[in-house]
Amino acid sequence: MSAPANQPAFLPAFAALLRRELVVEWRTRALVSGMGLFALLCVVVTGLGVRGLPTNETFHRFVLAVLWVCSLFAAIVGMNRAAQADQRRGLFAGLLLLPHDPALLFAVRLCTTLALLLLTQALMAIAAIPMLKLALLDQPLMLAVVPMADIGILAPGVLLSSATGRLRGGEALLTIARLPVAVPVFLGATGATDALQGGQGLAAAQPHLLLLGVCDAMFLALGVLLFGKLSEA
Amino acid sequence: MADPAQSRLPFAVVALALLGLVGAQATLWLSHFYAPTQITEGSLWVVTPDRGAPINLYESYRIFFVHLPAAYATAICCGLALVGGVLWLLSRKPAWEALVVSAAEVGLFTGAIVLATGTLWGDYAWGSGRLGSGWNWEPRLTTMLILWLAFAALLVVRRAMDSAAQRSALTAVYGVLIGPLYPLVSWAVKLFGQFSHPADLSGMMSAPEVRTVRNVAQLGVLAALLALVALRFAWNRLAQRVEQERST
Repeated sequence: MSAPANQPAFLPAFAALLRRELVVEWRTRALVSGMGLFALLCVVVTGLGVRGLPTNETFHRFVLAVLWVCSLFAAIVGMNRAAQADQRRGLFAGLLLLPHDPALLFAVRLCTTLALLLLTQALMAIAAIPMLKLALLDQPLMLAVVPMADIGILAPGVLLSSATGRLRGGEALLTIARLPVAVPVFLGATGATDALQGGQGLAAAQPHLLLLGVCDAMFLALGVLLFGKLSEA
Repeated sequence: MADPAQSRLPFAVVALALLGLVGAQATLWLSHFYAPTQITEGSLWVVTPDRGAPINLYESYRIFFVHLPAAYATAICCGLALVGGVLWLLSRKPAWEALVVSAAEVGLFTGAIVLATGTLWGDYAWGSGRLGSGWNWEPRLTTMLILWLAFAALLVVRRAMDSAAQRSALTAVYGVLIGPLYPLVSWAVKLFGQFSHPADLSGMMSAPEVRTVRNVAQLGVLAALLALVALRFAWNRLAQRVEQERST
């Protein structure tokens, strides 16, 4: 299908929609407050659960894996709320009428939730460093691992939320549908974190980074290709 | 239009089902009375998780005759879900949706067999010859569990969709998302360390008698798999037609 002659360019449209999403979030703070509070609660509850344990290597590995689980569920909280808010107000149907490929909406939604998840993780790290006695800032490579894992965690969720957001009990369904698919990303994230934080270096983290890269590329491609088909059904 | 309820199963499906049954019986008999207990010295030893002394598998290796073909069958189901999903997205023909659902249903069944036999054998072999050590988080078995959960998630989520169009689209998209999970199962041993799962079971089962039984088992399971997918496919197509008739 050829694009309409008066179709605005992709990048200005992307920037305008992204700005709209971030402005709405800035005004309501609905997502970041939900995700942030959830993440902080997870840190506190984890700290309570592991209090008194010796802070050895096993402790650090366990706590880091728990923090990834918290990120996974914080992302679910954010995606569910974002999808349902748009569906409730009828905004999503309106956005689909834009003279653009629906992949634009996928990209905007992904970038918004990615920004919010990174913010949430920063809050989580600020809380976890003193409370759980973690040395998260020692490994600069973690700055690459975290966004890579976040993209892999979010992309299938954003894709599936376009269908489950319209359903009663959609939150539970989205969680059920995306968790098995996101597990390879979770395995890559925890493996890379384990290797880097355990001081084993880049060589040990490489297979996990490769897994993250493959998952990111695959989920991004599938999201761009399939978001429209799933949303318009 | 002919009444779908009156349609009969094609001869090929019946033949495949019978072949599967015969294959299962033959595998049972051959694995107990033809495959030897002790293969070539050392060919069926396994390293325990703590890298301790290897234990001899004795009779326990016979479970591979079920475990291995069931794992291949699950891989085929994963591939069928991917192919069905892609073809539905390209053509929007309901038959491809039915193929994804059928593959997921049969994959759920064969995956359960892999998980049950793998857990049982792993419990014995990696528990140093004792039963009762429980789930051991072996990477390949764990990734297989994830794949099994993905099959289950597809069936649960699609059941919750009210609109047929949405249901079809979600089924196809999820079929495409499930497809790449099987390479993870294969890759798990390399990625997460061998732990104790043999990297290649077929290498361990290279003795001539064992190879014969393995081939019979694989043939039987393949026939049973095709028959099951065809049966579920026919059932799902029938359900689609009934839904279509009701809505018109």
